[in-house]
Amino acid sequence: MGPGFAQFLLKRIVGFAGVLLVLALMIFVLARVVPGDPARIALGPTASAEQVDQLRSEMGLDDPLPQQFVHFVANAVQGDFGISLISGRPVAQEIAAILPATLELVLATLVIMLLVGLPLGVLAARYRNTWADTLLRIVSLLGVTMPSFLFAILLQLFAAYFLVSWPILGRLDNALSGFDGPTGLHTLDGLLTGRIDVTLSALQHLAFPAIALAMSGIGQIMRITRSAMIEHQRRDHVQTLRSFGVPGRVVTFRYLFKLSAIAPLTIMGLEFASLIGNAFVVELIFSWGGFASAGLEAILQKDLNAVMAVVLVSGCFFVVANLLIDVLIGLIDPRLRMKESR
Amino acid sequence: MALLDIRNLNLSFTSYGRTQQALRDVSLTIEEGQRVALIGETGSGKSVTSKAVLNTLPGNARVDSGQILWRGEDLLKKTTGQREALKGIEMSVVMQDPLSSFNPVFTIGRHLDDVLYWADCRAGRPTGRKDRAGRIAEILRKVQLADPARVVAAYPAELSGGMRQRVLIALALMNRPALLISDEPGTALDVTTQDEILRLINKLVIDEGLTHLMITHNLGVVRATADDVYVMNKGEIVESGPLRRLFEAPKTAYARDLVDAIPPLYGPGVKDQKVSDGAPLVELKAVTKTFRRKRLLRPDEATQAVRGVDLNIARGEIFGLAGESGSGKTTLARMVMGIMQPSEGRVFIDGRPLSDTGGRADRRLAQIVYQNPGTSLNPKRTVGQTLDVPLRFAGLDPKDRQRRTDELLERVDLPRSFVARFPHELSGGQKQRVAIARALAADPRLIVLDEPTSALDVSVQKRVIALLEELRYELGLTYLFISHDLSLMRNFCSRISVMFKGEMVEQGRPSEVFANPAHPYTRALIAAIPVVTDAEEAMKPKVTPEEKQRFLVSSAA
Repeated sequence: MGPGFAQFLLKRIVGFAGVLLVLALMIFVLARVVPGDPARIALGPTASAEQVDQLRSEMGLDDPLPQQFVHFVANAVQGDFGISLISGRPVAQEIAAILPATLELVLATLVIMLLVGLPLGVLAARYRNTWADTLLRIVSLLGVTMPSFLFAILLQLFAAYFLVSWPILGRLDNALSGFDGPTGLHTLDGLLTGRIDVTLSALQHLAFPAIALAMSGIGQIMRITRSAMIEHQRRDHVQTLRSFGVPGRVVTFRYLFKLSAIAPLTIMGLEFASLIGNAFVVELIFSWGGFASAGLEAILQKDLNAVMAVVLVSGCFFVVANLLIDVLIGLIDPRLRMKESR
Repeated sequence: MALLDIRNLNLSFTSYGRTQQALRDVSLTIEEGQRVALIGETGSGKSVTSKAVLNTLPGNARVDSGQILWRGEDLLKKTTGQREALKGIEMSVVMQDPLSSFNPVFTIGRHLDDVLYWADCRAGRPTGRKDRAGRIAEILRKVQLADPARVVAAYPAELSGGMRQRVLIALALMNRPALLISDEPGTALDVTTQDEILRLINKLVIDEGLTHLMITHNLGVVRATADDVYVMNKGEIVESGPLRRLFEAPKTAYARDLVDAIPPLYGPGVKDQKVSDGAPLVELKAVTKTFRRKRLLRPDEATQAVRGVDLNIARGEIFGLAGESGSGKTTLARMVMGIMQPSEGRVFIDGRPLSDTGGRADRRLAQIVYQNPGTSLNPKRTVGQTLDVPLRFAGLDPKDRQRRTDELLERVDLPRSFVARFPHELSGGQKQRVAIARALAADPRLIVLDEPTSALDVSVQKRVIALLEELRYELGLTYLFISHDLSLMRNFCSRISVMFKGEMVEQGRPSEVFANPAHPYTRALIAAIPVVTDAEEAMKPKVTPEEKQRFLVSSAA
């Protein structure tokens, strides 16, 4: 790795911190511009004007906007997003309670996307212009074009009709509903605490929402992997190895695959944003009770503090995911590391 | 029995339902220990022939008839497995382009190890990693790479082009093949590096007693590396015979044209261009260009691309600027054109400082013709549309533009009907003519020619150069000719200069510079040019090993 890689990382981190700051500014301005007084929303229509004024000054809403923004950012960095206007409890606490659910769903989705999308893309490229390739291309087109909530509903119906004992709502069997683990990710907690039954139940519940959510990503990753493989297939370095008799399968699965994984990984980072957006609906369909459905509720109820928190936390997700992907790509491609250290 | 005997090979390609014959009745024989060259221009079928032997043809190629006899057995009748078994063991190829021949995300060692591992497997004697590492180090030393451990651990992008080319040679030699095929080795590299690579291949072929098939378009290269020559044109072998006979008394017109098209370096055939005595058009005084790179935690990095260069280009002359990649030629040319400002020093145009005009040179001062017409023309625009852009900027109305477009095409000897053609419908030479027409469109006084013929075949190069000479005469143009092809510059330029690491180390009339080069770098550069006759070889300046070490970037380190 060396100093080049450290510098490469440092630059990315600084850049992403900047992205988050801009995001914070935008959501802050939006929250202050939309009609509706947070203090009035918190107190309800029956409160008197004096009560509202008092709460306003308590919440710091009378301060000049720049000062409010500095406050907001300073608090947010420490994990304080204020009080929920609806429930009256700290927003951070509410989010912490539901975040693991979404985290688990999103991570499972990413794993499925990669494990299914990459190999299918490689296969489609290797058996290019055969019936298998055509079939895979049609499937990927369906994945990309059909909205994920449609998949969610279809899968749910499928499970309800054909797999009668398969759970289609929630995260765990009712019998296990009281379970609580150290990380909040049920699959992981089950393993950590030795409760295999919890892990199995969690995986069962996870399967269909994650598959529904992964469909569009699978389609995209497959198509991009396929075209990257085909593109690199024409390069001289393939010709070099082949003309010395290195078998075609080795060239494809080792040499071409590593080079072709860069493009789909990059796309996956961008795909992450739509993943969170889609999770909003899929979670509702499967009564997932996660972060996304809570976010939707906050938006509908105009719980401005919660909305700002939801947006910022999603932004963090996005940024961290992209940082990880950049690191991964940096590990794959030595040219990126060299560019920084030169 | 001959080692390789190709008999009446006919081969065709099918794409988009259309079949095109690539090889017609090609017959070629290579005896064991023979050094054979296969020469021809782009598309003549020389690479296809080698691929047919190696069995690396693309999927849309089909052998229609003929035989490829390897030690008397027909390769075309063998199974894929049997043919695979020959690859890298019985026959090897040195790939052409060292820059693109390695997978960028794997180390050099990984490439070498995999090739060796599979070759061993096919030969039925699997080996351990350690054993292979030892053999790899040994072969790398054989191609004069001094530090095998570093080369093995490096990623392709960490090695210079010359070093990568050496690794490619090592790859080919790994199993001491019975037949070594070199497909234009080193053409993508600088002349001095190319010269080193050719010497190395030549030495290894002789030392190891290999049978060698050299594929090239450069006749100068052939002289040093082959005893017998086959000349190919449009998929046919048009002439073959011993090297000397073919060079001195070619039987066919095609072979004669090929030999004649090479600009001579010394001797009676050399052309001296008239020296211009016009007033200076562009003058550079003590010009330096420094590029800065911002660093996050360290001080900025500065690179001096051009250092204290004095230069004046007189009206009507052809000023040659020679030097290898990275020597600062292009940066200097950009400052001459006024599209880049010097960091220090002054630029004068017609005796007036450039800063008087706000630092921007007039569009009508200088235009440029780029090296590769395949990439400098927009593939989505017709010739007419391409020529229209500069004419519109010149403020002409549609009718005048039409007239001027016709006029420009006529100037570069292209038929008027070409206005509707797209670049992919044109040959390389025709594309370069369009690029020249585009440069002429703005009616410039100076045209910068940035290696305008290096992407073209010699016979095409000859015609393009003739066109440039004619245009200069008719339109009174001044040229700044950038190139690393000194033999071409010897004949085309009225004055030349040599750049080395941003400095101008030599300047003068070609006849003087070539007869008596002052700077050792100039001598090394001239000495590296492949020439066609022994007489020319003898007249080249001599370079001592110390000078070589001081002034040439060694690709062996």
